[in-house]
Amino acid sequence: MVNAKLSSFPKKWLAALLVLAVVSPIGILIVWDYGDAWGEWGEVGEWVPQQFWNAPLPDYNLEGWESQLMASLGYIISALVGVVAVILVTYLLSRMLGRKNDDETSG
Amino acid sequence: MHIPDGYLGPATWITLFLVMLVIWFFAFRNANKNLGPRNVPMLSFMAALSFILMMFNLPIPDGTTAHMVGAVLAAIVLGPYGATIALSIALLIQALLFGDGGITAFGANVFNMGVVMPFTGILAYAGVRKILVRTKMSEPGKRAAAAFVGGYVGLNLAAFCAAIEFGIQPAIAPGYAPYGLSVAIPAMVSVHLLVGIVEGLATAAVVYYLADHRPDLLKLRKLAPRWMEGMLKEDIGEASEIAKKQKAPVEVKGGN
Repeated sequence: MVNAKLSSFPKKWLAALLVLAVVSPIGILIVWDYGDAWGEWGEVGEWVPQQFWNAPLPDYNLEGWESQLMASLGYIISALVGVVAVILVTYLLSRMLGRKNDDETSG
Repeated sequence: MHIPDGYLGPATWITLFLVMLVIWFFAFRNANKNLGPRNVPMLSFMAALSFILMMFNLPIPDGTTAHMVGAVLAAIVLGPYGATIALSIALLIQALLFGDGGITAFGANVFNMGVVMPFTGILAYAGVRKILVRTKMSEPGKRAAAAFVGGYVGLNLAAFCAAIEFGIQPAIAPGYAPYGLSVAIPAMVSVHLLVGIVEGLATAAVVYYLADHRPDLLKLRKLAPRWMEGMLKEDIGEASEIAKKQKAPVEVKGGN
């Protein structure tokens, strides 16, 4: 296993992700009046989408935050939650994987 | 490109899950050998970067949207299996926390964005680098040009695969995605021929920056299948070098 500590995550990289999270609402504002991506429709006609799971932050937003401002805030919160979750899962996974005797090359 | 639940019939999504089980086995076995403390931060950064890049929806003139993925960048820095693992994590969080991409379709989505895209992208990247090796371009320039092509090709082939998965449904699983290949392929491909330019530029920009400022980060140990080691050897060199250096004191200087 790789015993990488979370503190090994460079601060600069974290800062870059935070900047991207803060500007992420661009990703909904410039497509506000657009349709869904092809193939990413929410619901379609008579089919019953298989519901196995209720995502806590569906569509990267909080329930009822509909206005452009609130949806943007919800988007930023979702980006931050997602980034933290992804980093945590990766570090946890790395504890189950990999070589540990690589310390002299760590930096 | 995140296929939701209810669009792929069971035959398709189960098959792609089974295919992914095999690929995950090889990817994790490779990671078990090659993942070290030094590339864990990069693996988590690439997974997080992909996660957030996919949130930047871009408007397409036909009224739909599409987004970057970042899988070829991850493949260039971590090797294609590294990209598979990074994208698996990003897509898992997207599906579970944000309902983006289905749970039954998780295997299909990882296959498209986490396997087809990084593997074809890194092959294109390696191919272009080979073509450019004799030119007078600067090293970062060569890498950036190759990265542009890699990002462009990878994203488009991933979209093409998604289109095929959608497009075969009317024939094999009535009641799921209703559009046949003649609709799905033009719809997905036309969009990604455009967004591929953005993907390519973003991939090239980061690779250029790394080659220019942090060449050490391009020489991290790669998670790649054996048959690819030959074509990636300039980048993959460290794996064998490390073994040699293990006894010798750490040498800071990197050659080319």
